Formats: sequence, C-alpha cells, structure tokens
Amino acid sequence: MFQLKWVWKRMEGDHLRYIFALCSTLLISVMDLGNSVITANIMDTVFQPLQNGAVTAQGILPHLITMVAVLIGFTLFRTGFNYLSIMTYESCSQKLIFGLRRDLYKNMQEQDQAFFGMNRTGDLMTRLTGDLDMVRFAVSWIIRNLFGNILSFVITAVVFFVTDWLFALTMLVVSPIILALTALFSKRVHPLYVELRERLSQLNTQAQENISGNRVIKAFAREDYEIQRFDEKNRDYKEANKTASLMWLKFSPYIDTLSQGLSIAVLLVGGIFLIIGRISIGTFTLFNSLTWMLTGPMRMLGMHLNDLQRFFASSNKIIELYYAKSTIVSRPDAKNPSGRVAGGLEFKNVGLKLHGTQVLQDISLTIKPGETVAIMGPTGCGKTSLVNLIPRFYDPTEGQVLLDGTPVRMYDLKKLRSSVGIATQDVFLFSDTVDGNIAYGDIDLSEEDVKRYAKMAAVDFVEDLTDGFDTIIGERGTGLSGGQKQRIALARALAVQPSVLILDDTTSALDMETEKYIQEQLAALDFPCTKVIVAQRISTTRRADKVIVMQDGKIADVGTHAELIQRPGYYREVYLLQNGLTEEEVPIASEAKGGK
Amino acid sequence: MARNRYDVDENLETPFNIKHLLRAGQYIGRHKKKMILSLIFSAISAAAGLLGPLMVQRGINVSVPNKDVRELVLLSVGMLAAIIVSVLFSRARSKYMIEVGQEIIYAIRKDLFEHLQKLPFQFYDDRPHGKILTRVINYVNSVSDALSNGIINFVLEIFNLVLIAIFMFICDVRLSLVVIAGVPLLVVVVMLVKPAQRRAWQANSNKNSNLNAYLHESLDGMKITQAFVREEENAKIYERLNTAAVKTWMKAQYTSNLIWLSVDNISTWVVGAMYIVGLVMLGPAMQIGTIIAISSYAWRFWQPILSLSNLYNTFINAVAYLERIFEMIDEPVTVDDVPGAVDLPPIQGRVTFEDVTFSYDGKVNVLEHFNLDVQPGESIALVGPTGAGKTTVVNLISRFYNINEGRLLLDGHDISQVTLHSLRSQMGIMLQDSFIFSGTIMDNIRYGRLDATDEEVMAAAKTVCAHEFISQMEDGYFTQVNERGSRLSQGQRQLVAFARTLLSDPKILVLDEATSSIDAKTERMVQQGLEALLKGRTSFVIAHRLSTIKNSDRILFISDKGIAEAGKHDELLARKGKYYHLYTAQVED
Repeated sequence: MFQLKWVWKRMEGDHLRYIFALCSTLLISVMDLGNSVITANIMDTVFQPLQNGAVTAQGILPHLITMVAVLIGFTLFRTGFNYLSIMTYESCSQKLIFGLRRDLYKNMQEQDQAFFGMNRTGDLMTRLTGDLDMVRFAVSWIIRNLFGNILSFVITAVVFFVTDWLFALTMLVVSPIILALTALFSKRVHPLYVELRERLSQLNTQAQENISGNRVIKAFAREDYEIQRFDEKNRDYKEANKTASLMWLKFSPYIDTLSQGLSIAVLLVGGIFLIIGRISIGTFTLFNSLTWMLTGPMRMLGMHLNDLQRFFASSNKIIELYYAKSTIVSRPDAKNPSGRVAGGLEFKNVGLKLHGTQVLQDISLTIKPGETVAIMGPTGCGKTSLVNLIPRFYDPTEGQVLLDGTPVRMYDLKKLRSSVGIATQDVFLFSDTVDGNIAYGDIDLSEEDVKRYAKMAAVDFVEDLTDGFDTIIGERGTGLSGGQKQRIALARALAVQPSVLILDDTTSALDMETEKYIQEQLAALDFPCTKVIVAQRISTTRRADKVIVMQDGKIADVGTHAELIQRPGYYREVYLLQNGLTEEEVPIASEAKGGK
Repeated sequence: MARNRYDVDENLETPFNIKHLLRAGQYIGRHKKKMILSLIFSAISAAAGLLGPLMVQRGINVSVPNKDVRELVLLSVGMLAAIIVSVLFSRARSKYMIEVGQEIIYAIRKDLFEHLQKLPFQFYDDRPHGKILTRVINYVNSVSDALSNGIINFVLEIFNLVLIAIFMFICDVRLSLVVIAGVPLLVVVVMLVKPAQRRAWQANSNKNSNLNAYLHESLDGMKITQAFVREEENAKIYERLNTAAVKTWMKAQYTSNLIWLSVDNISTWVVGAMYIVGLVMLGPAMQIGTIIAISSYAWRFWQPILSLSNLYNTFINAVAYLERIFEMIDEPVTVDDVPGAVDLPPIQGRVTFEDVTFSYDGKVNVLEHFNLDVQPGESIALVGPTGAGKTTVVNLISRFYNINEGRLLLDGHDISQVTLHSLRSQMGIMLQDSFIFSGTIMDNIRYGRLDATDEEVMAAAKTVCAHEFISQMEDGYFTQVNERGSRLSQGQRQLVAFARTLLSDPKILVLDEATSSIDAKTERMVQQGLEALLKGRTSFVIAHRLSTIKNSDRILFISDKGIAEAGKHDELLARKGKYYHLYTAQVED
C-alpha cells in the first residue's frame, strides 16, 4: 500500500483536482439514477393520466415537451460532467507520469557507471514504458473504479440496513467470505505479477540486444539461433502472462457464485420474510432491484485488486529507480572555481578495485598544465581505468586524484567534467546531424567554430556526405567507418575547449597520414590544454612530453620516447615490433633525439 | 528514405484501412475453434444469467402468495444451478480468451521478430533502435485485448442489438422507427469524429515512439552525456518529447470520449422524440403498456451501441498500433535468398570480383569496375585512406549489400545465387565494433560455433591470448559480462570477439580493424598463434598498423573507387607510390 501513498505524494499540486475527480465519481453514480426518475415522472404525469382520460393529448403536449427538454438537458449535463470527470482523471494521471518520467530521466542521468553496468538498457526501458503505464492506469482507471465500486457497495449496504437490518445481514453474510477469498487471491497473484514483470524485462532486453547487435548476428549468420532465443523469451512471457491471468480464474468461480448467490438470498429469505409478514412487497422490490449494486462491486473487487497487484509490481520497480543513489555526486561543499582550471594533474598512490579485482595499484604521477602525456601498455592493464578517474567515472578506492592541487572529489561535478574533454575508446555518436554531434558539449557553438574543430580533427569527409554538416548519422554512428566516427568524436572533445583533453585510443582506426595531421593540430591548439593520450601506436606516443608505460595496473616505466627506446622493456619491444626493426637497428640516443 | 531521428515522426500515408484488422484476422483465424466456442459459451452463460429474474418473479407471484416454502427452496436450488452454469461457462470463455489473446500477440511478435532478422544493415542504420524496440514490445502488447475479447464482445453486442431491435419492432413499428432514426445521426457524428480520432491516436503512437527512441539512445550514450555535461540539455529535449506525448494522449482522450458522450445524448433525444411522436400520432389510442415497453427497449437498444462505440475506440487504437507493426513486417528484404537459391558447398576460399560497381545510395559509387582475384589461402591486406571503401569491399563478400553491377564469385559460385546462411557461415568476420552479448564469456565465444565444447572455446581463447585475462577474472570463463561489455576493456573485447570468430572455423577470414585496440605485443602473440590456423584460409585484413599488414601475400591500396596499387610490401615500397608514402609517414616522423 505504501506504493499508493508514494504515488499520492508525487501528485503534489493535483491533490485537489484528484479529490474533485473522486467526488465527481460519487456524484455521477447518484446522477446515473436520474434518467429513471425523470422517465418515471413522465409516465406518471403524462401517459398515466392520458390513459385514464384525465388529460387530452393536445393539452398535455407542452408539459411533455418540457419534461423531454428536462430529460435532454439533464443528460447533457450528466454526460458533460462525466466527460469532465474522466478528463480530470486523465489529466491528473498524465501530469503524474509526465513528472515521473522527467524525474526518473534526470535521476538516471546522475547515475554512475556501476549503475549502468548493473542495469540493462532493456530493463530500464521497461521501467519507463510498461511500468509507468501501469501507474497511469492505476491512477486514471483502477482507483476510479475501485472507489466507485466501494461507494455503491457502502451506499447500498446502508440503505439495506436502514430498511431491514436482519434481511440486510443475511445478504451481507457472504461478503466476509468473498473478502477473504479476494485477499487470498491477491496474495497468491502478487508473485506472479512480479514474475511477469521480470519476464517482460527479459523479453525487452533480448529484443534490445538483438537490435543493437544486428551486425554481429548477420556476420555469424546466427539469425535462426537468435529467433530461437527470442522465441524462448517470447514464450516465457506468454506463459507468465497466462499463469497470472489464469490465477484469477481459479478464484473467480467461487467469488462469482457467492456474489451472484445474493439473489438467492433475496428469493429465499425475502420470500420467507414475505410469507411470515416481516417485510412488505415494497421492501422486497427495493432489495431485489438493488442487489446488483452489491453483487457488481463484490465481483469487481477481485479484478481491481488483480490490477492493483500489477500496479504494485510495477511501481516497486519505479520507486527503486526513483531513489537510486549514485555514489559519484558533488559534495555539498564542492568547489566551483569560476575561472578556467589550469589542468595540472596529480595521482597520489591511487588504487582502484572493480568487481573484486585490483585494476589499479600504487599509481603516482604528476602531469603539469599543458603537458602531453601518453599512456601505453598491454591490453587490459588499466589504461582506460586510469583516465576514467579524472572525470570521476569512478572514484579511486585508495589514494587521490588531484586537479590543480585539489582532489577531483572536491570539485563540483559539472565544473570538473566540463573542464575535461574526453574521446572514448568505444565511440558513441548520437542520431543527430554531424553538426549536432560536434556541438554536443556546447550547443551554442557557432557554425564557424564547428567547422574549425571539424577541420582540426580532419572531419573533411563531411563534404562528401549528402547534406554536409547537416547529414544525420545513425545511432552509434552506424553508416560511418571507424575512422570517421573517431574523428567526429575527437572534434566533439575539442569543441568544449577543455583544460584536460583525454584521448582514449581515439586514433586507432585512422590512417597514418590523417593521424599525423591530427597530431600536428593537437600540438598547436589555440587554448591551453593538458593532453592525456592512451595509445597503442608509437607514432602517437613519440611526440609526447612523457610516456607512461603501464603493466598489470601499475606504472612500469616513465620517460620520453627517446629515453624509453634505449632501455629494454615493453616500450622498446613495441617500438621494434611496429617498425619491423630488430634489436640492432635501434637508433642511438643522439639520433633519436635529433629526429624528434 | 532519409535517416530517421528521435524527433522525426514516421508518418504513415495510407488511409485508415480495415485491411489491417482483416490481416490481424489471420492470426485470430488460427484460433477459430476457441473463438466460436467462446461465443457459444458466452451465449449460454448469458442465457443462464437470465433465468434468475424469472425464478424471482415466479417466487413472488406464485410461491409467496401460496406460502409454499418448499417451492421457494426448490426455486432457490434451481437458481443456484443456473448461476453455477452461468459462472462456469463464463469462466471457460475467459480461459479461452486469455489463451487466444496471448497466443495472438506471441505469434505477431514472433513474425515481426523473424522478419527483423532478415532486414539488412541499412534498416537498422536508418532509424533509432528504440523505435524498433517499442514496436516489438510495447505495440504488440497493446493489441492483445482488442483482438481476443474485443472481437467476441463485438459479435455479442451486434447479436444483442439485432435481438433487441426485433423485440422492439414487434412491439410497435412506428415508434421503433423513431428510435432507429438516431442511428444515422450517430453515424454522422462518428464519421465526423473518426478522422480526428485516428489522427490523434496515430500522433500519440508517433510521439511515444519518439520519446522511447530518445530514451533508448540517452541510456546507451549516458557516459558521453555525463562526460560532456549535457544532462540539462538532454533533460530539456526529453521534457519536450514528454510534453508532446502527454499532449497527444490528452487529445486522443478528448476526441475518443466524445463517442460515448454522443451515444448517450443521441439516445436521450431519440427517446424524448419517441414520447412526443407517441403522444401526437397515437394520442389516447396508445396503451401505456406499449410506451413503457418500448421505452425500456429503446434504452436497452442503445446499450449495445454504447458498448460498440467503446469497442470501436479500442479497435481504432489497436489499428494505429497494428499499422505500425505490419508496416515493419512489410519492410522489404533487400538482401534475401533468390528463388531457387542453393547452398554454397564447402569452399576452398577463392574470391573473385568481376567488374563490380557498388553504391550505398544509388547516387555516389563507392566502387567502380572493381576487379580482384584472390587465390585460396592467400592473405590480403587492404590499406588506404579512411572512407575509401575498404570495409565496403569486405562487406560485399558476405553479401551484406547487393552489388549494383558485375559479379562476385566464391570458388566460381555467384554469391547472389546461393543461400545467405550457407555463404555467411563459411565466413568469419570480425568487425571493428566488437559487440558483446550479455551472458558469460563462455557463451560469447561459443556464439561463433554453438556446438563447441568448453575445451574448444578455451583453445580458441588461448590462440588469441585471451585465456590469461579470462582466467584471472573472478568466475573465469563464467564471468558475466554485459552488452557493450563494460567489464572488459576495449582490447579485451576485441580478443573475445576474435576468439568467437576463430571458433566459427571460417574458410574466409575478414578482420576489419579487428585488432586496433590490442597492444602491439599482444597482437604479435596473437598473430603467431594464428599463423598455423590461417594456413589454407583466405584472409582479408584491414589495418592501419603496418606491423599487422607487412607480411601479407598481397597488399591492396584502395582509393578512387578501386585498387590504386597492389603487390607485396617490398614491391610497393620499391614503387615509391602511395603505399610508400603511407609507410614512411609511420616509420619516419
């Protein structure tokens, strides 16, 4: 039930309107009797007297017209009011889910990488689509009907008790049984809906991964396998859906029989009471004609609770997401220097543990503002993890990372991240124009600036695209080659004029000439910038002021290109490999320096 | 079609078409027996339900005046029996309807998904993935009730309507005509509201699709968003789409709810008119019993119409979704097996391009009159400027796209004449973007050959030097990784993808920048491991790193829509052409 309370809280500002809507439901159920009252009146005042010859058709006509006008007017009012009531429910529920969507979206934006590692896209999508729709359904439909039903039940019960308490009691004797059955059903069906929701999420994830991985699937000709895997999830979901729905059918025969059995009570008890003269025929007619007002709500109660259970299962998932807390947030006393940060970096005995594995260990490193530092090392040695610590995608488990002498944890997160420009390894582009992608970090960027940064990053191929900079590129940059994607990602990182530029293996798919061109551009940026470049190629690292060689999460060696190729070790091996040289062919120190 | 973005509606030009409902009928048709039985069960249940009031009437009119308690008890027992019959038949109907509804959406979803598997890259490249996802999941879910209970209730209500009309006409023809006169009026109202209503629901399905597409992309690109501090801007965009979705929903509600409103009002006018006509035309000659009966029928006549109008709303809504679903099922498969396609027999690995011309968009040719003959077992390296068409060349071999002119032969078999499955399963393609599925590392490697044993998987991992880091992970080969493999570094993902490709035991191996994120030393070890394996296999390697391509049998420099230079490393260097230029750029600085 706390879910309902939670939802009510989220409806802040609409409470009065929603209460109005609930009251109108009450009023409408009363007004529903209006038509019968008016028609009964027409019978009594027009046709009955006419039949008896008390009035002439001509004489009574104006009265009939008035009464018909009243009937039409009343119907118009009643339906108009009902329309208004329904719209109030609809707009309240829409406002609620509008706000929830907005808040959930914002909260997800604040989550850290650990969160996105744990929650699959398909599952998060389920929460913001199917689950939210269930909340909408609860507010606009379930509650309205549940309330309406309870209302008519109570009103009828009161009328019955006032009329004849004993007769009423015999009719209501089954209601506790129905209530108990409904409660039992509700308890039984709850886990089924939790299960169903999980199945839906799995189905969603399966479909989502299939769509995202379509290239790999085609490359391996695994369509049949994928169909089979999806079919399993599709089938599971179908079965879970059936199981949950069929649970109601296990209870409904009893509940339906008991509630419809009220008519039997009317007949048997009412008949006996009539025989012994306890009640009049009028009382009997009243009970008989209003029995459905008790039967209906009792039968519907189970269905509504059924829907309510679905709502509970869904809203739990939403509440969970709503309150998800990121461990990486700005501190309340965060530093937010107004000027540009200089870009000096320092790693002090930094260690990082992820998923129980020590990814980084004893990293101590100083990078002066404006310096260019290259990081090299074998696959999986922690290069990306190291640079991820700078914009706080992760916080180190030991030690500290400092920017301009202040720990990065102490900065306002936005300030920190907007000072850092990053081009990640796994290039992600948005389905937007080339222009929109480059200006992603700064939407106010002028057209000339976009072109300027594009030029710096050698995004010259844009000229060949059908609409130039206005060409829409597919999600994740599909349709572009790897090198083209990397260049756009680089232009995007440059466009924010960062104090610290991180290039995480961003030039790996570029041809040599382009790479060389980009190196030159980076060396001559028109803003002060510290560059941290993760690279596999010697051609990239040789220009750096400092090369850091990493191995097994530790710094193995630090030096300039010229220094490192002179000493045996990883760097020298790679150097030889890439240039196809043998040990003897290493240029001597002076030559290497001269060449630089 | 231009690429679709999250904020571009996918407008559907076709007018409202009953065709979509009829097409859905194919799915319903498979459950004909259950549908018909449900109809019968509903009728029985309703009939049994009508017995109750009759028994009460008998009890009051006969048993009570006679003070016959025994008969009262008997009547009660009879009533109980009637109720039980009614309840049981209605339960049977519900059970069928639940099953039919679920089976229908299962089948539609299955067909949609199977069709999606046949669609080419182009399809996925041209629209946000969230839009595809929404159709497969949410839209399909939305049509279940309309296509099961909706249909049954529709038939029942029509039946009901006809029955009441007959009773009414028996009662009094003239007055009945007045009551029926309201029907054309309602038809006019519906005709007026319908276009707006359909537009409104379509707009809503569009806006929802946009909203979901944007959400999907936001979730996928969250790291970039955070890195570029774009949260506020994105939240604004999302809010805009959110507003549009809410607005269109409200509009759809405003129009849809007009229908019952009209029915309710028109029915009142009709009854009012009937009173007046009855009074004026018949005058004192009219029996009050007749007017009471006919007015009760008149109200009841409009009840099924009201239900039908609600069903109509449900159908309009369902059709809006069905249109979108069928549109996707009808999406043409551009790359498909030709009629009479045969399986490509196990090949040696000879690849021949005969005068191939290819264009992605039909306007700009990427390759023109491209000729190439690769011998079985030959290793080919493709180099050249980014975007010159290297990837295109290798993509054509797997027939990811159809060529515009010329022929492409594998061991002399035209690839357009063989089945796609037999063609692609003999190819091993490693793409630059190594997609990792969620599951264990073991599962991911095994994706290359589903019947591979654990040992074979490990052997493949060892060949590509992935065994070491995998064994170091907490659960070794059974460590859970997820989509986009966030627990693995890019280089590690490439190694896993590499093992996956190797395991598929391809005759032709294509490595498209497959090792760009692997460090030089590991790559060297991988290459050594591969050497033995590559013997006898044709390979195409696209790479920028010279160490990767230097030892190839033939290096092709791709530019200007064709091969600019071809030859061994030393030959090309000696020529001092484009390749020489490229090479020196890397070695000398």
